[in-house]
Amino acid sequence: MKRSLLLTSGLLSGALLLTGCAGESNSGTEGEEDRTKISFIHWRGEDKAVLDDLIAQFEEENPAVSVEMTIYPSEQYQATGQRLLQDGSTGDVFTSFPGAQFEAIASAGLFEDLSGEDFVSNFDKELISVGQKDGAQLALPYQLVFNMPVYNKGMFEELGLEVPKSWSEFQTMADTLLENDITPIAFPGADIGPNQFMNSMMMNNAPDEDVFEKLQNGEESLTNEWWVKTLEDFQLLEQKSYIQKDALGTSQDSAMAMVANEEAAMLATGSYHMSALLDLNPDLELDLMAPITVEENEAMYEGINTATFMLAVNSKSEKKEQAKEFIAFLSQPEIASQYANETGQHLTINDVEYESEVLQNTAYWIDERKTRFQPRFLITNAQIEAAVLSSIENVLGGAEPMEAAKEAQQIVDENRD
Amino acid sequence: MKTSKSIYLFFLPGLFLYAIFFVYPTISALFYSFTDWDGLSSSFQFVGIENYERAFTGDTIFRKTIGNNLKFMLVVVVFQTIVALAFALIVLKNTKTTIFLRALYFFPTILSSVSVAFIWSFIYDPSLGILNQLLELIGLEFLAQNWLGNANIAIYSLAITQIWFHAGQMLIIFVAGLQAIPEELYEVAKIEGASKWQTFRNVTWPLLAPSATIVVAYTTIQSFKAFDLVFAMTGGGPNNSTEIVATYIFDIAFRSYQFGYASAISVIFMVIIAVITYLQFKVLRSNRISY
Repeated sequence: MKRSLLLTSGLLSGALLLTGCAGESNSGTEGEEDRTKISFIHWRGEDKAVLDDLIAQFEEENPAVSVEMTIYPSEQYQATGQRLLQDGSTGDVFTSFPGAQFEAIASAGLFEDLSGEDFVSNFDKELISVGQKDGAQLALPYQLVFNMPVYNKGMFEELGLEVPKSWSEFQTMADTLLENDITPIAFPGADIGPNQFMNSMMMNNAPDEDVFEKLQNGEESLTNEWWVKTLEDFQLLEQKSYIQKDALGTSQDSAMAMVANEEAAMLATGSYHMSALLDLNPDLELDLMAPITVEENEAMYEGINTATFMLAVNSKSEKKEQAKEFIAFLSQPEIASQYANETGQHLTINDVEYESEVLQNTAYWIDERKTRFQPRFLITNAQIEAAVLSSIENVLGGAEPMEAAKEAQQIVDENRD
Repeated sequence: MKTSKSIYLFFLPGLFLYAIFFVYPTISALFYSFTDWDGLSSSFQFVGIENYERAFTGDTIFRKTIGNNLKFMLVVVVFQTIVALAFALIVLKNTKTTIFLRALYFFPTILSSVSVAFIWSFIYDPSLGILNQLLELIGLEFLAQNWLGNANIAIYSLAITQIWFHAGQMLIIFVAGLQAIPEELYEVAKIEGASKWQTFRNVTWPLLAPSATIVVAYTTIQSFKAFDLVFAMTGGGPNNSTEIVATYIFDIAFRSYQFGYASAISVIFMVIIAVITYLQFKVLRSNRISY
């Protein structure tokens, strides 16, 4: 009796365990059998409200399709989001960063080729080239951001300052700001500062857009003039107090507070922070300005752009047609306009109508200014990217530019493909 | 007494879970450590011991992370153990005040690590943070630091946070150990005229050795695996000065898509933790004594 009781209890425990496991996989889709549910995964938590609204509009127009949106923090998205793509059950529509992540997903063959789709023509032809590989349009960047400092235009006008056109003019401008007890640049060195500011700091020091490709294949070195000069320029910003004290310990929020409180004139991040700055201080008048680190006649670029939040269809998906319908919907100018105005972002879609003042005031950067694609995203090897960024931190921490460049180059050499 | 063979069935659920969540991933990591798998593709190549060779001879950052991890571990193990033991001695007796203080000291342990990271990032902020402001307020502004932005001290700043976070947990283990020491031994020591230090050295500490072994071993493992705090507070920066092995494995696997190499580092890391923990057990067990 005792023995059979033990046996029964043991079997029962096992059965309960298995039942528990099976129960989890059965949860879910009751009442929606007649609709095709597509999964949309991305990392833009701040866009949830507007995307919820757009999804509702899409479902109304397409009653046979429903969209389940899952938002991951960007770090987690890099870690888990794309692995979910592998069996095709998640991320029928997904987004990708340009650069290393795009390359990795492309190598794994998880992008559906969108080249022949009608909706591709809704996008700006030049701006979507970042989503192409081997002649195929694998992803369509949706947002257009300018990764260059945001500056307090009103403050500049008050102090009679012009936007500097050369490195010497930039230093004169920064000295004037210091004389007025204003920190020229709020630099969030504890988080995104180095990876954002490096772009505009190097854009004219290394005008060759293939410089990082050459670095990765051994034709270029961080110890060459273009990078050592960039590090020297960073050193100068630190030594002359053009960036705030203890910049490497300053978070993005603290740096934003400095600009919102008008303690600093520039925020070394990008256009995506303009709405947040205006939320903190609605009286600010903002525009964009990249430091020109060479003489005026040598400057080739005025700023940095990044076409990002790249929309794509999972090649493993069984609902590719519905996924494409959703991207076609998002690429309609009136839908894109709603997204742009409610998120405060410029987009890569043609004929978008920007209603907010800050978007209208900075829209001239799209067509009228000479900008280049964010160089950092052209480093496709994440370890090499980390080495490049570390060299900036090293210099801001007190190392000599050449010494920091050598140290970083050693890591580049170790990680070259 | 004869044990029924059917009793072994009770092992099955636990064994099943252990096999799924520990044995299988460990064997998988070992397997993939000999490949060049990128974590996304369905195919990969066997590369022999190439990943291990790279870790030992061709990866400056990996060697730096080992050094950072050892610094972090030493500071945390030494100071967390001392702080937990000192506080345990203070709150040993069961009075209302000490029971309240035990709960207070234990409180940080129940917070999520991301919350702790957020709180301490704010405390350490060089311009808005309360630590520097407090130092200025009491006239010690010369001690104000760029706590997380200075590559020379950032790892120690993280260690202080880790100690604050987990010392309460270790305090409870020490309190349990201290309360298990028979009162008569202290009475004997008193009659023999032992000083407080002699009593601690010859009665308390030897009898506390089992608890200390647990505390030291657990703190060591915990400090090697302090991924979440480091990731949320510094991301390994500045200039890799706070990059520890766990955050580096994450970078290699999920940012560089080199799962094969990340698996090799994980295996090496597991062996390092096992060796250090074994040595600690050996040393601390040799201190054990019974009266």
